Amino acid sequence: MTPVHFSFSSAFMLGLMGLAFHRTHLLSALLCLEGMMLSLFIALALWTMQLESTMFSAAPMLLLAFSACEASAGLALLVATARTHGTDRLQNLSLLQC
Amino acid sequence: MTYLVSLLLIALIIGLVAVASNPAPYFAALGLVVAAGVGCGVLIGHGGSFLSLVLFLIYLGGMLVVFAYSAALAAEPFPESWGDRSVAGYVLIYLLGVSLVVGLFWEDWYEGSWVVVDDLKEFSMLRGDVGGVAVMYSSGGGLLIISAWVLLLTLFVVLELTRGLGRGALRAV
Repeated sequence: MTPVHFSFSSAFMLGLMGLAFHRTHLLSALLCLEGMMLSLFIALALWTMQLESTMFSAAPMLLLAFSACEASAGLALLVATARTHGTDRLQNLSLLQC
Repeated sequence: MTYLVSLLLIALIIGLVAVASNPAPYFAALGLVVAAGVGCGVLIGHGGSFLSLVLFLIYLGGMLVVFAYSAALAAEPFPESWGDRSVAGYVLIYLLGVSLVVGLFWEDWYEGSWVVVDDLKEFSMLRGDVGGVAVMYSSGGGLLIISAWVLLLTLFVVLELTRGLGRGALRAV
């Protein structure tokens, strides 16, 4: 395995594990999601450049556009959570009334 | 040049370990900034200067700035950094895991070719990735229009989500 492939693959797996084992804040889970998107962008851009298929370089641009959509939807959910529950701590996102 | 790209790849992994170990969101955003910066360096080392510029402007300058502002919603009196006991365990586990997988691949550590994407006789404004992005406007025009529609739709989704207590999608039940 080349070092480049290993590094963005392990970056993706690290972001995924950070998302799976999130602890207190919703925002840190969203940041791990952004880390995964960063590793995917680097992977697609390196695909176009290492295989010299430069027509494919529209793909990382569109990936970035759609990941901006996803980040904004996630942050809107964070803001709505902070408005209704007072904080973004995950222990407050419970259905118990009190 | 090979060593520089190797250093940047190591810094990318360390930056994402800093994010994945889930400290307070201030520090996780800092790790993501560092990881995006060295990721841009990796792209430049392969000759993709336009894609690196796009990553810096849109990702760091657009999305991460908004995340930094939203970190005010996660304010704590004593934010947990990477030295605090609960976070340091995660940091050590992730670094150990990455080192184990590196040791697994160590014998067949194939170098690959780290030359830039195009060879030009002199300095030029148009590299390979700039020409590739221009296809998005010529042959890929339909997808561009669909993406613009999706972005407009996302704007309305965000406006509906943050409408307010009484009529939004999330309410205090």
